[in-house]
Amino acid sequence: MTDSAISLSGVTKTFGATVAVQDLDLEVPRGAMYGFIGPNGAGKTTTIRIVMSIIFPDCGEVRVLGRRSALEAKDRIGYLPEERGVYRKMRVAAFLRYVGQLKGMKGADAGREVTRWLQRVGLGEVAGKRCEELSKGMQQKVQFVATILHRPELLILDEPFSGLDPVNMRLVRDLIREEHERGTTVIFSTHVMHQAEELCDHIVMIHDGSKRLDDGLRTIRERHEARLLEVEPIDPGADLALVAGLDGVAGVERDHDRFHWKVGLAEGAAAQEVLARIVAALPVARVELHRPSLEDVFVEIVTRSGGGSASQLRDVLRGAEVRAAG
Amino acid sequence: MSTVLRVAWRELVATVMTKGFILGILLTPVLIGIMLVFLPALMSTEPPKVDGELAVIDPTGEITNRVRAYLAPEEIARRHEETAAAVKEAMPDGLEPLTGGGIAPGAGPDVVKMVLGTVPEISVRELPAGAELEAEKASLLEGTPQDGGRLALAVVAPNAVTADARGRFGAYELYVREKLDDRIIGEIKDALREAIVEARLRSRGLDPDDVAALVGLPRVKPKAVTRVGEREDTEVLNELLPMAFMLLLMMSTLTSGQYLMTTTIEEKSSRVVELLLSAVSPMKLMAGKITGQLAVGLIVMALYGGMGVVALVSFSMAGLVNPMLVVYLLIFYFIAYFVLGSFMAAIGAAVNDMREAQSLMMPVMLVVMVPWVLAMPISRHPNSLFATVASLVPPINPFVMMLRLTSTAPPPAWQAWLSIAIGVASVFGAVWMAAKVFRIGILMHGKPPNLATLVRWLRLA
Repeated sequence: MTDSAISLSGVTKTFGATVAVQDLDLEVPRGAMYGFIGPNGAGKTTTIRIVMSIIFPDCGEVRVLGRRSALEAKDRIGYLPEERGVYRKMRVAAFLRYVGQLKGMKGADAGREVTRWLQRVGLGEVAGKRCEELSKGMQQKVQFVATILHRPELLILDEPFSGLDPVNMRLVRDLIREEHERGTTVIFSTHVMHQAEELCDHIVMIHDGSKRLDDGLRTIRERHEARLLEVEPIDPGADLALVAGLDGVAGVERDHDRFHWKVGLAEGAAAQEVLARIVAALPVARVELHRPSLEDVFVEIVTRSGGGSASQLRDVLRGAEVRAAG
Repeated sequence: MSTVLRVAWRELVATVMTKGFILGILLTPVLIGIMLVFLPALMSTEPPKVDGELAVIDPTGEITNRVRAYLAPEEIARRHEETAAAVKEAMPDGLEPLTGGGIAPGAGPDVVKMVLGTVPEISVRELPAGAELEAEKASLLEGTPQDGGRLALAVVAPNAVTADARGRFGAYELYVREKLDDRIIGEIKDALREAIVEARLRSRGLDPDDVAALVGLPRVKPKAVTRVGEREDTEVLNELLPMAFMLLLMMSTLTSGQYLMTTTIEEKSSRVVELLLSAVSPMKLMAGKITGQLAVGLIVMALYGGMGVVALVSFSMAGLVNPMLVVYLLIFYFIAYFVLGSFMAAIGAAVNDMREAQSLMMPVMLVVMVPWVLAMPISRHPNSLFATVASLVPPINPFVMMLRLTSTAPPPAWQAWLSIAIGVASVFGAVWMAAKVFRIGILMHGKPPNLATLVRWLRLA
C-alpha cells in the first residue's frame, strides 16, 4: 500500500441522481506512467478531483503519496486541470512565482525556476507581459510550467494537449517523458486514446463511472490479439471471393479507400496460416496483421458488456476528438 | 508566509493596485469637495425679482397699513439679515471659519439670504370693503409677478381684530396667482398674521413689543459636561455623527464585499480556480480571499475615517468622538464584513458571471438597506424597543448598534457586548454556510443556481 503513489478503494461519488464514479479501486505504483482513458463524461475528471481532494467521495478510501488526503501532500503534487486558466491581469512571471510559492517554494527559488522554465518552453521574452496578452497556446504552456515548476513527485495531467499545436504538443510530450524519467509518477488523462498509447505504460479505462480495464499496455495488446488482416492486392479490382472462400477467413470487406481489404479471422484460425493462404490465392502488394488500438479495445470491452454499439461508441470518441481539436 | 496569507496578499495587491480602485477611492472625496464648492454657485441661480401688488379688502381698517409696513423692502431685508444671523448662531463654532457663517461649508455668508431669495417689491393696495370679489380675483390672471401685476388678494374677516358676538375671532382668506414663489406667499402670510396679532394686542391695550419681549427667549447653546471639561454640544453634529459612522461602516463593508464577489467570479470564469485548488484547499482559498478583502475594507475605512478625524481635529472638535467608538467601529466592521463578505464570496462562487450575481445579490442588498432606511428613527430614539431588538439581530446588528452607540443616548455597554457576541456567532454561521456553497459552487459551471439549489448544496457538502 505505502509504495503506491495513489490508492483508491471502493470510491463512489454521486451528483444528485448521477453516479459519476462507482466503486472504483485503483493502485498506481510510484514512478509509473498511467493513462486514464475514456470518453468525455466517463468519470475521469471526477476521479482526478477526488484524488486531488478538490471534491470528496461519498464513500471509499483515498491515499495519495502515503497520505490520507492530497491536502497533506499538495506541495508534492503537480496538477494540470482540464478546466484551466490564468489570472488575466497578472504578469506571466509573477503568476508563476505566485503558484510556485503556493506550492511551498521559497521566493528566490521560485523566481529562478520560473526564469529557467520559461526559457525552456520558449517563453523567456514574455515573462513581463500580462497573461491576457499571450496566445491560447502560450497560456497553455504557462499553465503546464505552473504544474511542474516545483518538481512534483506526482504529476496529474488532465487533457494536457488540448489546445496545443503539433509542435507544442511534441514539446509538452517530451517534458512529460523527462519528468517521468526523473522518477515522477505521471497520471495522464485523455479521451484521445492514441495519445495515451504513445506515452503510457499502463492503462486504466473508465466508462460510465466504472473501471473497465486496468492493465499494462503490453498485457492489453497480448490479451486482445489481432483478429484482423490488412491486405493490399496489386489489382485493386480483384474479386473479394478469392479470399472470402479461404479456410480460416470469417469475412472480407473493402476499406474506405477501396485499395485495402479487411480480412476477419475465423474463431480458432491461426493468423500465420491464413496469411499464407491469402498470399497464395492472389498477388498482394502488402499483407499484415492489424494490431488493435486502444480505441478498438475500448469499443470491444464496452460492446461486450452491453454498453452500446461499436459504431455509436466510435462516433462518441470521434466527436470528442473533433471537439477537442476545435 | 502561510498559503492563506499569500492568497490574502495577492487579493489585496490585485485589488488596490488597480486603476479602478485608486480612482474610485480617491475620486469620491474629490467629487464631494467639488460638489460642496460648486453647489452654492449652482444654487445662486436666483428666481427673477418680484415686483407686484397685494390687494387687501380690510373691513376692520386696522390691517392694511400694518401689512404695508411689514412688507416694506427694507423691513424684508432686515428680517433676512436676522435669519442669516440665527443660522450662523446655530452652526457649530468650529465650522464657522469654513462656512463663513453660511449654512453650507464653503458657501459664504450670503448663502442664507440667497436661499431666502431676493428682496421683493410688494406694494399694498387697499380695496373698498364692498369691492366685487370675483372681479378682483380675475386680476390675478393678468400680467406677471415682475411687471407690477397683482400677486395676491387678501380678504380680512370682519371679526379678525375684535371678537364677534359669540366671542370668536376670524382670520383672512388669501387668493394667490398661479405658481407664485412659495417664499412670497410666506412673506404675505407672515405679514397678515403679524398685522392681525398686533391689531388684536393693541385693541386690548397691550404693547406688541412688550409681549414679544415677554414671550421671547434667546437661543441657548447647550454645554456638554465631559470628563475632560465642558464643551458646546452641537445639535447638528449630534445628528450627523451616527450617520457618518454608519456610512463609514457600510461603505467599507460593501466595497470590500463587492470586490470579494467580483474577484471570485473572475477566478471562476477565467478557470484559474482549479489550478489554485491544486495548491490550496477551497477553505484556505476562501479564507485567504476574505482576509485580503478585509484589508481592502480597512484601507477604505482608514482613508475616509482618517479624513473625518483630521477634519474634527482641525476644527477643535475631536472631543466629539469618544475613542471607544473607534474601537466599536472596528469590531463591528469585522463582524459586518465577515458576515456580508461570506455571503458575497458564496454568491461569487455559485454564479458564472456578474449578471447572474445580481439576482442573488438582491436579498443581501435589501437587508443592508434596512438600517439605512431606519437610520433616522433609530438615531432619534436609540433606546426604543425596536432599536434595541434591531441592534441584536444579525446581519443588521453591527449597523444598528453603531447608530445607537453614536447617538445622544448610547445604550448600556452590556447591550453593545451582547450584540458583539451575537455578531461573532453569526460570523461563524455565515462562514460555515459560505464555505459549503463555495466548495461546491466554485467548480460548477453552467446553469446558475437558484435559492433552492444553494440550500441543496448546503445539505450536500
